[in-house]
Amino acid sequence: MENALIILFGLTMLYMAATSRLMAHIRILVLQGILLFLICWFGMEKTDVLNFLFLTCETLLVKAIVIPAFLNKIVKQTHEYRDMEANIPHFYCLFISSVILFGGFLISDFNFPGIKMINPVYFGVSIAVIIISLILITIKHKILTNVIEFITMENGIFLLSLSVAKEMPVIVNLGVLLDVFIAVFILGLLVNRINKEFDGLEVTQLSDLKDCEYDD
Amino acid sequence: MMINLLLIFPILACLIMCIFKAKWMNNFFINVYALMHLVISICMSMHLPVGSSKYFCADSSNIVFMLLLSIVFMAVAIYNNGYIKHETTDCRRLRHYSYMMLIFVLSMTGAILSTNLGLSWVFIEATTLASAYLILFSRTKSSVEAGWKYVYICSIGIALAFVGIILLTIATGNMNSLYYHELMANAHIFNPFWLKLAFVFILFGIGTKMGLAPVHFWLPDAHSESPSPVSALLSAALLNSAFLIILKVYKITVLAGCADFGKLMMLVMGFLSLFITAVFVFHINNYKRMLAYSSVENMGILVIGCAVGGLAIYAAILHMIGHSLIKASFFLTSGNILEIFKTKKIKSVTGLLKTDKKTGWLWIASFLGIVAFPPSVLFISEFLMIKSMIFQKHYILCGLFVVLLTIVLYGLGKAVVKMSFGEPHEGKNYDENVKEVSFGMYFPQIVMLLMAFALGIYIPHFVNELINGTITGLAG
Repeated sequence: MENALIILFGLTMLYMAATSRLMAHIRILVLQGILLFLICWFGMEKTDVLNFLFLTCETLLVKAIVIPAFLNKIVKQTHEYRDMEANIPHFYCLFISSVILFGGFLISDFNFPGIKMINPVYFGVSIAVIIISLILITIKHKILTNVIEFITMENGIFLLSLSVAKEMPVIVNLGVLLDVFIAVFILGLLVNRINKEFDGLEVTQLSDLKDCEYDD
Repeated sequence: MMINLLLIFPILACLIMCIFKAKWMNNFFINVYALMHLVISICMSMHLPVGSSKYFCADSSNIVFMLLLSIVFMAVAIYNNGYIKHETTDCRRLRHYSYMMLIFVLSMTGAILSTNLGLSWVFIEATTLASAYLILFSRTKSSVEAGWKYVYICSIGIALAFVGIILLTIATGNMNSLYYHELMANAHIFNPFWLKLAFVFILFGIGTKMGLAPVHFWLPDAHSESPSPVSALLSAALLNSAFLIILKVYKITVLAGCADFGKLMMLVMGFLSLFITAVFVFHINNYKRMLAYSSVENMGILVIGCAVGGLAIYAAILHMIGHSLIKASFFLTSGNILEIFKTKKIKSVTGLLKTDKKTGWLWIASFLGIVAFPPSVLFISEFLMIKSMIFQKHYILCGLFVVLLTIVLYGLGKAVVKMSFGEPHEGKNYDENVKEVSFGMYFPQIVMLLMAFALGIYIPHFVNELINGTITGLAG
């Protein structure tokens, strides 16, 4: 069951690579949040109540509700509903992402030194999700999509941290959650500011600051 | 107790400012915190008990970093009193600026003092978030662009550093701890494959924050667009905090027997930083951007020193001290120039010495300091590094090092000479603007430059002991 959920989590990235609608991206974020919650639910022992409550709050509340709702609000404010001008067509995006995900599954079968410490499927899929997110950041053209891919990367890192059968101190976990949350919040505010200062939300417009040809 | 005070005071101050909203409080709390920071750091350097806890502690490895942060913050606080009132009169914006300045210094303090790698990560990410507002402060189109690049690039870099931390926990085997002392004590049993992988991620991730090439792209934008006191803090304090974390992780790789791999990675990034600065510094026509590139160069020198090892590690720590003092002074003086000429363009600034003699001489002295002109302390540190490379028979590296530094010197010198000498632009009168520059906007630079040049002539016993303590704590 757990492995099926993880594979489903990996597959959400393919949909992310193929679609240009920002609302669909946000729905995928909700889905990823719920999947991560279910992975936690099935995967971990529920003996440590504090840690379990924390993970539930992080996945279900923050990742599946608060962040998508915030991004949804920004999409409506900025009236940017599509990311059409990706550097390469969506079909190739899908192809590249599929190859990376396949690579992730191959890693799962590979016998690493010290592999006893980690769950291979978790590890392979999370590494694939992180790499796909990074590649999508370079391919997609809207800064709002970049924020969404930053969040999927964070989700991948969250899955990676679940793959290691060890726990960080609660204070570190809390700090990480708070930092990520505030980072998304600040990026969201910046998106709004950029929308006001520049005409639109294309990454290519952010090219005023140069080493030569500087003007006040 | 004292450490807790350092970490709690800014939050209390923000709460008080938020409740009372009095205008006088804005600068007052920054000054009080700066003074408190300096006093507590001096207590730490005198090895007085400051109340270490499980998560935060002052030991020989981080005292130099704390002391530097305190000195730079004190200088910035004094400068800020005169500077910020020219930026805006909007009380609300000034209040937000003060909140963020306090939280920014708090997060740097946390990053330096934390005993846990995970906690250091949390604080380093917090520095990004706190300083984002400070970079955006002028609310221009270019500052929005710089702010976006800063938050986005640094957040991704730091997220990759977190991947590195997770990989490090895999390398640790059965041990379940991220405390530095436990990691160092058990480093010999770590799995080398995972440790090397973790080091790459952490070096690139935290290296993003430290401004090492090729992940330095946020740095010139952020440093040039933020208000000058913030640029000084970013360059002279924030980069050091990130450097401390890299040093600690590097020590773990050394203790685990993977020193060669770590050295190679650091040498590559260090020389790339020097190379990038040497290439870009020639075509720059924004003087604050030029200083930012100089920071990239100096961060490169620091990691090269650590990678070369031996005497060069001593030189690297000395270089960090000198760089922080001189670069803070350089950035603060650039604030004076901006105040007088109202432009960041090198071409539009000429005859600085005739327009404002004090700013002109500070600008030239800072330049001489940063390019390691004797008796600047950077001369001693770079000389020791070169000597160390020759003794270790790294002749090619040494040659490359000297050539790249000379190119950077020429690039910086060209701009500084053009700006300082000659006649001011005809038909323009800057006298009114010069009057706006108060004594508090010269004083911190003078003190810091005096310290940097005095250290170049004589390194007092206690400074030597502090540096040696750092080396045994971090690199031994």
